[in-house]
Amino acid sequence: MNERISLSKEILLVEDNPDDAELTRIAFAETGGDYRLRVVSDGVQAVAYLKACAPDDLPALVLLDLNLPKLDGREVLHAIRNDPATSTLPVVVLTTSAESFDVDVVYALGANSYIQKPVEYERFVDVVRQIGLYWLALNQPPTTP
Amino acid sequence: MTAHKVDQDEARFRLAMDSAGIGMAIVSLEGRFLDVNAALCRMFDRDADGLLGKLVHSFSHPDDASLGERLRKELIVGALTSVDFEKRYLHRDGRVIDAQVNAATMRDADGTPRYFIAQFRDMTGQRVAERALRDLNEHLEQRVQARTTELQAAQRRLEAFVQGVSHDLRAPLRGIDGFATQLERHAGDRLDALGREQLARIRSASVRMGGLIESLLELARIGHTELRPANVDVSLLAEWVAAELQDAQPDRTARVRVQPGLQVIGDERLVKALLTQLLRNAWQFSATRDAVEVDIEGHRDEHGLHFTVRDRGIGFDMAYADKLYEPFQRLHGGDQGAGDGIGLTIAQQIVERHHGGIRAEAMADAGANFHVELRDLPRANEGRQATGDSALEARE
Repeated sequence: MNERISLSKEILLVEDNPDDAELTRIAFAETGGDYRLRVVSDGVQAVAYLKACAPDDLPALVLLDLNLPKLDGREVLHAIRNDPATSTLPVVVLTTSAESFDVDVVYALGANSYIQKPVEYERFVDVVRQIGLYWLALNQPPTTP
Repeated sequence: MTAHKVDQDEARFRLAMDSAGIGMAIVSLEGRFLDVNAALCRMFDRDADGLLGKLVHSFSHPDDASLGERLRKELIVGALTSVDFEKRYLHRDGRVIDAQVNAATMRDADGTPRYFIAQFRDMTGQRVAERALRDLNEHLEQRVQARTTELQAAQRRLEAFVQGVSHDLRAPLRGIDGFATQLERHAGDRLDALGREQLARIRSASVRMGGLIESLLELARIGHTELRPANVDVSLLAEWVAAELQDAQPDRTARVRVQPGLQVIGDERLVKALLTQLLRNAWQFSATRDAVEVDIEGHRDEHGLHFTVRDRGIGFDMAYADKLYEPFQRLHGGDQGAGDGIGLTIAQQIVERHHGGIRAEAMADAGANFHVELRDLPRANEGRQATGDSALEARE
């Protein structure tokens, strides 16, 4: 087994809407998982944060909204995939849009998953729980970046 | 031949000339008008005296003058017995006359040429129309291109609008439901029964609004989504939709019987959305029944598939049947299971995109039958069809 699984339980949430950021934080707390959620509110901050991370400090998962100020989610995804240090980092697009155009674009850009945020809070908590369970407990990430 | 007979023949010929609708003339071998009828005078806008004795080619359009001369010589020597040609002449005021001309040589009994009989049909109006049509056709391509560009721009604006609606209207709703839920959890015990009920209403309203936005987006997508025709197993999709509805309401008793093997060439995603709307409709309006009972059966003809979705719910009054497919029209209140009033509008639009039809028959409190016709869509080009069908073919 590689060691990165146990090294990081940090999730980077890239979300400009403070309500959504707060609800995601509450939802993760409700799931009882042992995660640290770091929130940045635009694409520039997201890219800068990941660039500044030492390899062992990279988050286990990036939760990426699409409609973001400055750099939007697609541009952030492009930057992550084009940086050798983060090219294999799991990125889950978690967004309100369910337009098939967006879905196709982000998969083409290298997203690992595309999830639509439900409006209903209980379902949202359920989605967050499953994301945590799958990406931080079940899924085995690549051993090298 | 008697003098009387000659007079009779001449009188008949004169009558034929004068009553003819097209221009007629007797032309000498050297090409001068010997006799003209009224129609020819009208055509050239000259009286008979203005034409008689004049060379025909003196009225020709300068560019066409040589044409008549060459043919006249051929007619005289007998190389041609009669000719048809198109030639331009000039009206008295200088306008161009497009004429179709027939000329024949009249000969003696011994074959000596005597004169020509010529007929002139005025084609000016027709030629003008033809030129206009040609111009129109040449410009049509440009206009189609311009219109296509406009439509593509409108489509992009619509897509941007739909994406904006999709994102920006739903995000605040999640906040309303999410924070109302938090308030209920953290301060619910400090609220009285009325306060808790009002909080529940806030949540319920936000969820309903979320569903409404979802339905409106679905409606917008149906209008502009690109159709991907493929073999669609309607029976399988109906079973699938029924299973989804049952999953969403596991406590509800439901019996959905689907005739196997119903097939159509259609857009699978849209056909599934259609079945979802029809089955959800049956489900909703069976809310007051012990169980949801739905039968789906049908048959194919050479055009496509006909099927009926039959429920045993509360039905509706046929007097209002024409309102069924209008958006936001409801025939029942929410307590009887009414939804957002868009479901059947979506169903109708999907049916229309399959060039089919939908009609309902019902009796109040005795269930409803929705009869649907879906016509087979023409297959896309082979390349795309092969890609689009692969999943279906694997399943078949």
